[in-house]
Amino acid sequence: MARAILATPTVESLRSNNARSRRIVDKIATAALWGAASTIVLMLILFVVYLFVQGYSAISWHFLTGYPSAANAGGGVGPEIFNSFYILFLTLCFTLPIAVLAGVFIQEYAGPGRFRDMVEFSAESLATVPSIVMGLFGLIVFVQLFHWHFTALGGALTLTLLNLPAMMRVTQQALASVPQTYREASMGLGATKWQTVLRAILPSAIGPLTTGVVLVSGRIFGETAALIFTAGASVSYGASAYDFNPFHTAETLAVHLYSTHREALVPDADQIANGSALVLLVMVLVFNVVARVLGRQLTVRLTGKA
Amino acid sequence: MVGVRANKAHRDERVALGFLMSSSAIFVLAIVLILAFLAYNGTLLFWQDHVSPLTFLFGTDWDGFGGQFGAAPFIIGSLVATGFAILVGGPLGVAIGLFFSELAPKRVAETFKPAIEVLVGIPSIVYGWLGLTLLVPFIARTFHAEGDGLLAAGIVLSIMILPTVISLSEDALRVVPNSLREGSAALGATRWETMSRVLVPAAASGLAVAVILGVARAIGETLAVQLVLGNAAVVPKSLLAPAAALTSEIVMDMGDAPEHSAFRHALFSMALLLLLIAMGLITLIHLALRRRTT
Repeated sequence: MARAILATPTVESLRSNNARSRRIVDKIATAALWGAASTIVLMLILFVVYLFVQGYSAISWHFLTGYPSAANAGGGVGPEIFNSFYILFLTLCFTLPIAVLAGVFIQEYAGPGRFRDMVEFSAESLATVPSIVMGLFGLIVFVQLFHWHFTALGGALTLTLLNLPAMMRVTQQALASVPQTYREASMGLGATKWQTVLRAILPSAIGPLTTGVVLVSGRIFGETAALIFTAGASVSYGASAYDFNPFHTAETLAVHLYSTHREALVPDADQIANGSALVLLVMVLVFNVVARVLGRQLTVRLTGKA
Repeated sequence: MVGVRANKAHRDERVALGFLMSSSAIFVLAIVLILAFLAYNGTLLFWQDHVSPLTFLFGTDWDGFGGQFGAAPFIIGSLVATGFAILVGGPLGVAIGLFFSELAPKRVAETFKPAIEVLVGIPSIVYGWLGLTLLVPFIARTFHAEGDGLLAAGIVLSIMILPTVISLSEDALRVVPNSLREGSAALGATRWETMSRVLVPAAASGLAVAVILGVARAIGETLAVQLVLGNAAVVPKSLLAPAAALTSEIVMDMGDAPEHSAFRHALFSMALLLLLIAMGLITLIHLALRRRTT
């Protein structure tokens, strides 16, 4: 009898039992979320350590500056590293003015309307075009239609199309970070809209803008699929490793990692691939650090904000 | 004097607006040109080489030089690898987004966030190389199989879409008004109950957008997938069997397919299909966002 009474759950005991299990579920869920987030960081550490361990023995001055070899061991990636920077430079020459101006237009000038909607929708659509599809578009236009063959310029123009939306978004975000009062003060002093943009808004936005631009540059540096059939998978063997002719074929480091794995005849292909992967990773880290440091410095220098 | 200066400023304003608008117009022009060129080149296979679109979409025999253009193995490969990535990377990404918006102390967020940015920056070819040299041997040992195939591709893609899904779901969760969190807590809900029953439903459309953009990233991913798929142009029998995807097959064959050949046209058709999928996903996103505003 007594047992039966004990076993009968009261409202009180139910609630506390329930509360306890709910608390336990909460604890488990919290732990799981912490675990999931930590996995990301651990994964990154694993990747970095692995790539360093695998690639570090391949790195030498000769590897970083020398010519790739067709059939013998000991080839370098000098022209490829140069081409990566060169194509990045060309891409930025096209992307930056267009994307920054368009970003200024959308963020500062355009009222809601059909033109603005069209531009924003186009930017979103461009942003989802897969990079291999953009590469084939580049192939159709620059290689087949213009008969340029594989060129640094064709590659850079393809990457421009691929990265315009990201650059525009970066510009918009940087402009949005400038307080509204700056605009009001400048216009209140009698400045025109364009004077306000040029002398008040852009200088104040330069910090976050730089950070964003450098981060996107890091992505341009490592782009592969869009370049294989536009800039090509071989380097031009000129007098020096540095071929500035934009109409020459220009294999970048990322494409080299791919082509080495796919078709290289050299006996040390794995070694070269490991070295290239490490250089690419280091460049990503460098771009990230530079983005942060440069952005902060410029903000301090041009706005006086810490 | 003042009049002259004001005139000049006025003229500058006009010139500037001209530049601003033409730069913006380039975006519209670019996407129109891309759609037009791919629509033309991507359909040559059907009206010039007389391959039926049905054969292309549902045929399973692929032999570029032999005139067999059934792209079904690649379509299936793309869909399965992407599906896998979304099933794993989607929930994981949303969970980590929840962590950053609801749980992470400021200091922890500040150390974890740069890690995610670096993950975004790692080139896809490096992910492929990591997959090939780290993951494939691991799978081979664990399952006593070849190692490359849809499982490897799915895992690599799950990792690659994570940053996208994480940051977008965090943004979506952050815009949920605090009054909902407070109200839920006041009703006695635990933090997890608030997250799972209040915040996730409230942010549902934003989370859907995060996952859809993850799909877009995964289906268009090329080299990371190509390196670990094994590249066999057959309908995959299992997750462990070598397979191919739309993107990986384009990269594999494009260098060999001669200009103006049906072979090359078939690859353009595959690119057109990828483009149409991407446009479809953009439309889906707009539908999801419209539901939020009404």
